[in-house]
Amino acid sequence: MLARLAENLFWAGRYVERAEDTARMVDVTYHSLLESPFVAAGPTWGQLLDVLHLRAAWEERAVGEGGGAGGADVDAGAVVRFLVLDRANPGSIAAATARARENVRSVRELVSSELWEAVNDLHLELAGRDLEREVAERPGEVLRLVRDEAMAIYGIASETMPRDAGWRFLALGRLIERAEMTCRLIDVRYGQLDVLRGARGPDVPAADGGFHHWVAVLKSASAFEAYRRRYRASTAPADVIEFLLLADDLPRSVLYALNASMRQLEALTDGRPSRALRLLGRTTSALAYRDVAELLDEDLHEFLEDVQARIQQVAEAVADEFFRHQPPGAMHAVAGG
Amino acid sequence: MRLGIRYVTRFDYGGPVVESQNELRACPTGDGHQQLVHYGVTTTPVARVRSHIDYWGTRVDTFGVVGPHERLEVVAAATVETSPRPAPDLSAPVAALADPGWRDEHLEFIQRSPHVAWGEDVRARARRIATGVADVGTLMARVEEDVAGLEYRRGRTDVGVAVEDVLAAGAGVCQDFAHVTIALLRELGVPARYVSGYFFAADDRTGAEAGDEVEVETHAWVEAAVPGAGWIAIDPTNRQPVGERHVTIGRGRDYDDVAPLRGIYNGPREHRLTVNVRMRRLAVAPRGAPGAPGPYPGGDA
Amino acid sequence: MGSLFDAYEPGPHFDEVFAADGAVRPHYAGVVGRLDGFAPDEFHRRETIRDRIFRTQGITFTLADDEDGLERTFPMDLLPRIIPAAEWEVIERGIVQRVTALNRFLEDLYVGEQAAVNDGVVPRWLIRTAEGFRREAFGIHVPHGARCLVSGVDLVRDADGSYLVLEDNLRSPSGVSYVLENRVAMTRVLPIAFSAERVRPVDHYGPLLLGALRAVAPPAAGDRPTAVVLTPGVFNSAYFEHAFLARQMGIELVEGRDLVVEDHVVWMRSTFGLERVDVIYRRIDDDYLDPVVFRPDSMLGVPGLMAAARAGNVTIVNAVGNGVADDKAVYAFVPDMIRFYLGEEPILPNVTTYLLWDDEQRAEVLDRLDRLVVKPVGASGGYGLVIGPQASDAELARVRAAIEADPRGYIAQEVVGLSRHPTMVGDRFAGRHVDLRPFAITGERVDVLPGGLTRVALREGSLVVNSSQGGGSKDTWVLEDGAGGPR
Repeated sequence: MLARLAENLFWAGRYVERAEDTARMVDVTYHSLLESPFVAAGPTWGQLLDVLHLRAAWEERAVGEGGGAGGADVDAGAVVRFLVLDRANPGSIAAATARARENVRSVRELVSSELWEAVNDLHLELAGRDLEREVAERPGEVLRLVRDEAMAIYGIASETMPRDAGWRFLALGRLIERAEMTCRLIDVRYGQLDVLRGARGPDVPAADGGFHHWVAVLKSASAFEAYRRRYRASTAPADVIEFLLLADDLPRSVLYALNASMRQLEALTDGRPSRALRLLGRTTSALAYRDVAELLDEDLHEFLEDVQARIQQVAEAVADEFFRHQPPGAMHAVAGG
Repeated sequence: MRLGIRYVTRFDYGGPVVESQNELRACPTGDGHQQLVHYGVTTTPVARVRSHIDYWGTRVDTFGVVGPHERLEVVAAATVETSPRPAPDLSAPVAALADPGWRDEHLEFIQRSPHVAWGEDVRARARRIATGVADVGTLMARVEEDVAGLEYRRGRTDVGVAVEDVLAAGAGVCQDFAHVTIALLRELGVPARYVSGYFFAADDRTGAEAGDEVEVETHAWVEAAVPGAGWIAIDPTNRQPVGERHVTIGRGRDYDDVAPLRGIYNGPREHRLTVNVRMRRLAVAPRGAPGAPGPYPGGDA
Repeated sequence: MGSLFDAYEPGPHFDEVFAADGAVRPHYAGVVGRLDGFAPDEFHRRETIRDRIFRTQGITFTLADDEDGLERTFPMDLLPRIIPAAEWEVIERGIVQRVTALNRFLEDLYVGEQAAVNDGVVPRWLIRTAEGFRREAFGIHVPHGARCLVSGVDLVRDADGSYLVLEDNLRSPSGVSYVLENRVAMTRVLPIAFSAERVRPVDHYGPLLLGALRAVAPPAAGDRPTAVVLTPGVFNSAYFEHAFLARQMGIELVEGRDLVVEDHVVWMRSTFGLERVDVIYRRIDDDYLDPVVFRPDSMLGVPGLMAAARAGNVTIVNAVGNGVADDKAVYAFVPDMIRFYLGEEPILPNVTTYLLWDDEQRAEVLDRLDRLVVKPVGASGGYGLVIGPQASDAELARVRAAIEADPRGYIAQEVVGLSRHPTMVGDRFAGRHVDLRPFAITGERVDVLPGGLTRVALREGSLVVNSSQGGGSKDTWVLEDGAGGPR
């Protein structure tokens, strides 16, 4: 297929997933703060910005608006607005849905009209209506809408697209993004745990490791019930991390997403040598046999950052292998002599 | 006069360019006044060059470079044999210019074109020039005289400066001289076309069979259609008869039809374009003798 | 008469359905009889179904400046336009004749000896001053001389029902997607209308077009040449049609940036590397096709494409430079081209056209400007059109000044009433003006798709049928020989 269209589909998949996962992370942070009145909101939001690699963008924006520059002084309302609605923030949900729409628009003839309409609706929902107030008062509802519509988009795609190369690029983009974002989701919680420990007073029980916060994470990954069935009453953070990172049958786990990416990439390369596939295989096996207890003893954050870096390399290799025929840049005219 | 010409255009892009596509118009034409002996184009990086003759009769070399490169050099090497031109009979009456059949035949060179659009200044000058003139030759001479009032100022203007602006500035380069002359002639009803070429400007009095190589520039002059005489060349920049030292590349309505090089590239906006033309007088190989070596080895393509 | 046709006024124009005496024309008897029993509500219910089909099929066009990308449907009226076999036979022959002559003329002009010009059939100066004349296309050959591979000749009918040619549309005529989709929608919305009718199918257009595209591939392309559709992109108002045609033919829909020219060969950038392209059905205007040769600021085209075509490595469809014959003043000479190149009398006449550089004709036209139609020679799609009888004094004064300033820039034509066709307006049928754009395909020979696009001027009394100016459409039936009439 045309390199340009493959790339559009790949990015459409990534941006919809990015919007969804960002919504999940904002949601889990927002609600866990509601439930922990003794925890300073500032550092917690700051930590989310770090995990999303948006700290610099946030501070730039804060400086631009003449407000206090980031740091520990992060205003919850402002940061939620920044992460959800701010089109100037390339990592915001609104920006991701706008770019998802641009990409789907370019491949309209390859997707069903229902899929286009669903993506367009989500974009219009976030761009057309004035959501400022709703986000300020009831962010949960807006975040839920994003989650539901993103899942609806994949449902429609899955039910209407033939399993050709186009579908595979869309799915690949989605899965790679999910693997990366689930790493971040774990990292947010894990990092916040650190923050909690740092701020630990007599009201924070050490025993359950802040388990109700992990419940929020599981719920935000739509994985709470599945977790309960498997781990019963375990409240060990290690179990939750293992589940989200390594469960090979949980659709939102990192390992599941990587395995599924492998299958798409195998179909796309069809036996031809592929650097992207090799890198992906290495990343997957590096993960598959890890022991979580061990990871917790070492630096989990560092490990998650490393997995993300490897996934990014895979994405670059995919671009190199399938999309590189599309040179970037602009044409200029010359005349003379 | 046998002349060797080496035309070199060099693009220095400010960074990597992934693609460039170009058209070159640098090949001396063959006509009653000159004969092409040899011509070849090479490019670095190497590109396959295809040639065709365009609507105006000019040879066009097309080539593209796909893949990263930061520089592109185009070398056109030619050998041409020019001959002197006899003094034409320009006594046709001005009234002959109005013949509808003749005008129809020369329509493209009577109308305005992108670089030859004029207004009141040109019209006023034309009225002054035409006063009391009965024959086309005198009309042309007076146009040349009028344009001679302009000052030649190297690098003063880019191609694309409007005729009226050149007149207002009172100065220009050879392209501007040509465009102004064409505008005046057309306003007066004399079909006029733009000629792109080379001018061997060296004061070559060595008398030797082959002269020294001299650095020149691409040149532009004008041809006017005179009833009964055909197309007559004049060189408003140099104010001397067009003859053996003029090598014609091609003709068109204005610069746009014969621009030596035009192209498109994908890369950084800023680029530097350098053009270098070298000419020298060559010895004519005696008939029957083994072919003289090409003037510039490696020029064949 | 049933309720839907109650109070229908055929009016002074030629009516497609009703004869002057009010009787239903025989070829409409079946359809009118079957629809007669429909109550308005039932008819509206069918219209709702129709709208849903068009929307879910995505048969829409967008307006260029619409930020939300809102998609509009091109409304199809549910009463089809019907052409009897004998009438179609004449139209078809007339279009084949006209398109053949135009192909010959363009081939002769761009790669031949310009016989028609040299012999004074078409004035040389006229060609040289035509906006669509492309000197850059000189010497570029097209296999079989199929320069107008797709043409969409616009026909109108005058007061006595004779078909006249209004425009030839030899560049990128659009609308064929509606022809195909209208038929699909009609069979689903009003299957009863078809019962006992033998309507000639139109669904072979895709294969027909693909066959012609392959037939004009450069000889070097081999047995399985690769053809693509080149679109300006999703923001083009006809993008739906570009995508539709690519789908109908099962070929790639590409944008300029998907193609690259290397060593005068055109390649398509695919996920597996570069794939060679042999034929480009482009829906991009000449000016934007290749920035090396045409507008250097064009981002839509393919640098080096013209050189590749000249090298004989790719065929550009329709050929570059066809616009010269779309010039409305050059159009006036098409009947002479038919006589000159084919030695035949034109089967389909032109609308009477006045050439305004001619002092006598101009004087006559300016004298009765309020009874003529004036058109700019270079425009299409109804832009710049001034209809004398409907124009204000100020408009007439403006057009008079424009003609006097640039007589070559305009033509004047007699007003053609345009036939009318009953069209659903509110709760009943009312007469609306229609035209007909049959599509002809030139490969090794010229084929005409039976029927074509019937466009309807939805505003009462309006003579302007263009989609950009508030037009609708009708499914257009050509009946098989011996079909039609009540049964």
